[in-house]
Amino acid sequence: MQRVFEKIVKGVFDTQRRHFEAGGRLQRLYPFFEAMETVFFALPDTTRSGPHVRDSLDTKRFMAIVVFTLVPLLFFGLYNAGYQSRLASGMSTDLLPVIWQGAWIVLPLVIISYAVGFFWEILFAVKRGHLISEGLFVTAMLFPLTLPPTTPWWQAALGISFGIVIGKEIFGGTGRNFLNPALTGRAFLFFAYPAQMSGDAVWTVVRGAGGRAVDAFSGATPLAVAQLADGVHSVEAALSKAGYSFSRLFLGLYPDSIGASSALLCLLGAIVLVLLGVASYRIILGDILGMLAMGYLLNIIATETSMPYLSLNPFYHLVMGGSAFGFAFMTTDPVSAPDLNAAKWAYGFLIGALTVLIRVFNPAFPEGVMLAILFMNVFAPLLDEIVLRGRLKKRVPNV
Amino acid sequence: MKHLRIKKGHSPKIDGSPSMAVDTLPRPERVALLPRRIPHVIPRLLVDTGERVAIGSPLIEDKRNPAIRFMSPGGGLIERIAYGPRRVITRIVVRLDDEEDRVLRDPVGARDLEKMTRADLVQRLVEGGLWSFLKALPFRDYPAPDSVPPAIFVTLGSLEPFQPAPEVYLEDQGPLFSLGLMILKKLAADPSTVYVSTAARSAAAIKPVVDGALTHLYDGPYPAQDPGVLLYCIRTTAEQNRSWFIDGQDLLMLAEYLLSGIYPTRRVMVAAGSRAVVRRHLRTRLGVPLASLGAEQKARKDTRCVVGGVFSGYTGSADSYVGLYQTSLTLLPEGNHREFMALFNPGLRKLTYSRAFLSALNSADMEADCNLHGGLRACIACGHCNEVCPVDILPQLTYKAVLAGEVEEYLAIGLLDCVECGLCTYVCPSKIDLAATLRDARAAYYREQG
Repeated sequence: MQRVFEKIVKGVFDTQRRHFEAGGRLQRLYPFFEAMETVFFALPDTTRSGPHVRDSLDTKRFMAIVVFTLVPLLFFGLYNAGYQSRLASGMSTDLLPVIWQGAWIVLPLVIISYAVGFFWEILFAVKRGHLISEGLFVTAMLFPLTLPPTTPWWQAALGISFGIVIGKEIFGGTGRNFLNPALTGRAFLFFAYPAQMSGDAVWTVVRGAGGRAVDAFSGATPLAVAQLADGVHSVEAALSKAGYSFSRLFLGLYPDSIGASSALLCLLGAIVLVLLGVASYRIILGDILGMLAMGYLLNIIATETSMPYLSLNPFYHLVMGGSAFGFAFMTTDPVSAPDLNAAKWAYGFLIGALTVLIRVFNPAFPEGVMLAILFMNVFAPLLDEIVLRGRLKKRVPNV
Repeated sequence: MKHLRIKKGHSPKIDGSPSMAVDTLPRPERVALLPRRIPHVIPRLLVDTGERVAIGSPLIEDKRNPAIRFMSPGGGLIERIAYGPRRVITRIVVRLDDEEDRVLRDPVGARDLEKMTRADLVQRLVEGGLWSFLKALPFRDYPAPDSVPPAIFVTLGSLEPFQPAPEVYLEDQGPLFSLGLMILKKLAADPSTVYVSTAARSAAAIKPVVDGALTHLYDGPYPAQDPGVLLYCIRTTAEQNRSWFIDGQDLLMLAEYLLSGIYPTRRVMVAAGSRAVVRRHLRTRLGVPLASLGAEQKARKDTRCVVGGVFSGYTGSADSYVGLYQTSLTLLPEGNHREFMALFNPGLRKLTYSRAFLSALNSADMEADCNLHGGLRACIACGHCNEVCPVDILPQLTYKAVLAGEVEEYLAIGLLDCVECGLCTYVCPSKIDLAATLRDARAAYYREQG
């Protein structure tokens, strides 16, 4: 069985190879051919000198693991988008129609993201004469998961373009970018098209109501609800009144970005990534500790007259909005995170703390995690430098 | 005796380790000296094809210091001098006579050695062509004969796959070993700075031979045996960075030479690796053909002959010879085929440092091949090299500093502490040869220093 399959796949690549090799019609697309072929067939290249033996891990598997852990979020997001859409449109929420509608909402955005992402990656790979780096597979998957389901297709194309070109390629491509490319694209859309990226109406695709939510449907996100609560210790109650109990926020069946709503799936993804050694547990724990510490600090300084948001139980911060998704998949991007272990703790802690600060004190930005991560991306080299200097002080010099 | 617990490093579970059984090989027809495999030295030929040489007569000298000469490992006729690209001398092949001549120098016993001055001892070792078995950190060249080391490390055994076990080559060599230590104590500024180290688990087996000479035991993964790693663990001052070291087997050669006055050629080597027919220890001599160690019987296609350790060795052809400092032959599959669906393989038997394969739960030895297992990519800062580097030079940062030409920065991070173990290259998922970049930068810095 496997032999036959191998023969068929080999046949496909062997017959198509000539089009992509030098002199072929599609020779410019060779990096694409190579990227596809190496998905099925590992390279035959061997070492020339010592170390003669090399680790079996390569960046392809490294990135494939991240994509693999994102797939459950994609499916849940697809279901959730369809479910919320049919609920708001007053249609039945049977499984099959929900999935059908969700697929129509989500898959085009994912396909656009991959198609446009590949276009830019191939363009730069051909111009620079290198092969496609697998970071693209992750970026093009992360990006649509951060989008509201109502995002126009052209905006998705523009966002991923900005993320890949400005967030990554102009600095030299994967490995040389200092910002997370997917988040850079998302931030671009957030600031360039605020009408389509924020507010209460963008999180659910409503059909048959002229694009407007029907009366029975309240589209306010948990973050917006939390901001508008009145009275100390009333935030949890306000959330729960709006239908956002802790368990619902944790499970994620509510209107939100496509892939970011389920804290449970993010947690499972993070655990898999840490167990497989792909994500740094230091960053993730730092994120969580920072968020809880800042949340409790705000609890302590909250008074009768201060903003009610200050008194929110910090664990709600972990499950609301995109923080779980950001912590599990965005902060752990090794390229834009610091390199040294101590710096990773600090990086995570500061991201968690900043997220809470932005959410609570800046009404213009209900979601703080995106800005917090991009902000700390910029500071990652500085954190490394501080840690490095501390290490070198203890080292016996050798020059 | 100090017990060092070394945490960083990595011992890959490679299949094909040699047994402790020892075979004595018959005398080969030819032996060779491989000048290209002697690091740093710029060789000048002292002989020509067709000349007759004896064991211990000089074949080449170092142009940087003509007093340092490299001797013939056999007596007979110089059959061939082979050159590689840019006229580099690759090998000087000697066809052995039935009765080999030997260059005889005055023997020196333990009692004479005590009376000898340090300068005389140095002179005698240089003359005999054995000085170059001593090495100086951090560049691992032979030390300047007029310098005095802050410490000398004797390493007994190696954790690199696969190297001769010290209990094999030390067997019945107690008197020679203590004479060797006497030599080192004379060479060192202070006799208490001659350190003898071995792995904690082989200590019991060699204790009867080395007696109370052991100063350091270590526990830990490859390359915990490296003198650079041990130095990194115990050093307190910058001066110690210029310490010397010598391998246990080479120390026996120094002692044997003094005692007999004859250039010693005995060597214990191992044949190992998953493609080797018999994996065992071999009593043989310097510069033997790889074929005699088992390369030729397995010279079937797609087999790599690694001479001297999977990490630090070189690729030899089946008709080649063992270098002066190498003591093993490892035969591995080349792995030059396209593996189908490797990306989706759960990998119960994949050799890896990471946890991205099921093999992380498998404690069995695994077959290793010479495939790169991936394409060259940019560094994604995964941090694996930082995790395994035994001397904490943060290869990821040092490598980038070297590429950027930031001399002060890479020296401060510790480029010169690098022990050239090759683990950074081994673990890199982007398949970057960090070790080569660091090695070249060190060599360039050394040349600049003169």
